[in-house]
Amino acid sequence: MSPDPRVGIVLVSHSATLAEGAAELAAQISGGTVAIIPAGGTDGGELGTSAAKVQRAAKLADSGAGVVILPDLGSAVLTVRALLGEAGELPTPVELADAPFVEGVVAATVAAAGGADINAVLAAAEEARHARKL
Amino acid sequence: MPASYEQAITLTGDLHARPAGALAVAAAKFSSAVSLTVGASQADAKSVLSVMGLGATSGQHITVAAEGPDAEEAVAAILTILAEATRVGA
Repeated sequence: MSPDPRVGIVLVSHSATLAEGAAELAAQISGGTVAIIPAGGTDGGELGTSAAKVQRAAKLADSGAGVVILPDLGSAVLTVRALLGEAGELPTPVELADAPFVEGVVAATVAAAGGADINAVLAAAEEARHARKL
Repeated sequence: MPASYEQAITLTGDLHARPAGALAVAAAKFSSAVSLTVGASQADAKSVLSVMGLGATSGQHITVAAEGPDAEEAVAAILTILAEATRVGA
């Protein structure tokens, strides 16, 4: 019997290496059972964001339980919002998290690994802003 | 009727990010509320960032407490992870 599908995570960053590194870290901490797909940089490999990369990542991240997208800054948010504004551009259900990038992806991924639904994964990401490091 | 249960352990290693993640994933499988207490700090075991925020290190006593229908099982599962994951060299 296959386990229930997990909520997938997409990381949208201006930097491909930043998105990949955050995904690698979150995968280690959460045990590697959740799809965390990086969507960093432009189509040409420059610093920036790409709607096409976000769409591909969201499709890969979706295993039936929905996708939570974490943007880093500025136009990463705008790129995702533009896709959310058009029906059929992203899998559903999909949520855009207003969360710190590193803490948010770690919290969201661990919640998803524990079997949380999309609303609980989104809440875990967004509560990360209140977590103290010290 | 909800039960409450608690047990303490002395850490044999630091509670790093990876064990904190394993602990939060395991705690999420129980319906009981599960908390960790180290000195004056308390964390929700189901929140990985809260667990990491404890900054628990080797030699510290950590109390695992749970309240709910599966409290005893939850505490046992978390104690096992703490004992395994914080073992020196793990």
